Amino acid sequence: MGVGVDLLDYRSWPRYLPGFIVCLIFAWLVLQYDKYVVGDLHRGYREASSVLKAVNEGKAPPTYEEYIAKKKESYEKKMQEFKEGKIKEKPRKPFILKQNDYEFILQNKDIPLKFKIGEAANNYQITYVAVLLLGGMLIRNTIGVPKILQPGTVAARPWIKPGIIILGAYYMWSDVLKVGLAGLFLVVLFVLGTQIVISYWGKKAKADDGLMGLMGAGVGVCGVSAAVAVAPVVDAKPRDFFYAIGTILLFGTLCLFTFPYIGKALNLPQPIYGAWCGTAILNTAQLVAAASWYGHEALLTANVVNVVRIGFIPFCVLWAIYFYVVRPARKAGKEIGAELNVWQVIKEKFPIFILGFFAMVTLNELGAFPKEMRDLLGRDIVKIFMAIGFAGVGLNIAFEDLKKAGGSAFAIGFVAAISKAILALGVIMLMGEEVFKVKGSG
Amino acid sequence: MEEKKTSAEFEEKAKTVFHAERREDYAVLIIATVVVLLVLIGVIDKKVVDAIFIWKY
Repeated sequence: MGVGVDLLDYRSWPRYLPGFIVCLIFAWLVLQYDKYVVGDLHRGYREASSVLKAVNEGKAPPTYEEYIAKKKESYEKKMQEFKEGKIKEKPRKPFILKQNDYEFILQNKDIPLKFKIGEAANNYQITYVAVLLLGGMLIRNTIGVPKILQPGTVAARPWIKPGIIILGAYYMWSDVLKVGLAGLFLVVLFVLGTQIVISYWGKKAKADDGLMGLMGAGVGVCGVSAAVAVAPVVDAKPRDFFYAIGTILLFGTLCLFTFPYIGKALNLPQPIYGAWCGTAILNTAQLVAAASWYGHEALLTANVVNVVRIGFIPFCVLWAIYFYVVRPARKAGKEIGAELNVWQVIKEKFPIFILGFFAMVTLNELGAFPKEMRDLLGRDIVKIFMAIGFAGVGLNIAFEDLKKAGGSAFAIGFVAAISKAILALGVIMLMGEEVFKVKGSG
Repeated sequence: MEEKKTSAEFEEKAKTVFHAERREDYAVLIIATVVVLLVLIGVIDKKVVDAIFIWKY
């Protein structure tokens, strides 16, 4: 999730405010686009297609008034069936074309351009996530972000976390345990596995302990947070730190912009894709963005795997302590066990915000959220929080930071991260879609 | 000497970062709790959220 921002320090608020307001406005504008183009116009395309299909089949088209009446009648019929319990899902309000669009279709036997744009935006996944990330990155690296706005854009990033917590309203404990258990298997196998492999590989390649320790923690578990946690343990030098962070950010950024398209090209089901993001992408903000980009179901799965993954930060620090401090000391015949307080490490490094997520799941399990409230929280409000966070993420992707990737560990870190991503996808596909499906409470 | 200084600097930096991350976690827990409470008592509902969107078909 990057380095922490002390949002409770009210003395810093004036410093954060200008940039944060810019992120709010940016997020708001892009959400307008998302609702209109990706939402309404995409639905309009489907509706226009069905009208056009009827026209092309040679059926006599109804007048506009008849068209509206037919739509309303069909909706009321479905509502009645819903009330009688014949159908489980509450029917969605029908999309009714405006008169000028309806007549355009009848006259030109074609779909209006705006609907085609909505369809294209959907097909190419140009959703709010893509626009905020790509747009933010473009702004940052062309016109730039003035210094006065930079602290606020950094402070916008943690707003993804309330989204992660509130998303808990969608899960039942059975989902969290089922997907979490599969996620635990993936985390131990690939996430901690990557850290262990990098540690040994680095020793074999006689690479610097400090650099490899950082790279292992960062590439394996949780990007920048884990690298910062491990830095003092492995006696990292500032140069190593920047190499490692640069590599982690570069890999994460590449994943963020390629994973949704790889997923689409491979036709990955949403739960499989979500589990893949949760395992292979190194940073919470980037993986949540990549999963949201693909779809809501993918986000639901990725969120659980991510909660398990970041819960492993303390264990990643413990591994680094063992591998770089305890093991060499034992080899040299020294005793340092008394200095290592395992519980203290776990307590200090545990990301406590995930407790909020568990509280939300428990509230949902207890029936605190009716269906409409659950949709409001888990879709609409989560989307708003995510949009604010993604605005901050996009505006903080600076090419100069990515250029810092390098050094002897770059190749090892990069190869390990890519191998992890490929192998994880294979294993997740073998485990199957059902294991990672979040059913929710319907 | 230099190594010790670097190690101490990182230790200090890591402590500051984790202190900030811990406080960031508290802040996001507070924000999420307030929003969920507002939804539960009905202050934030579908109409409020829909009002954010002014560009509609």
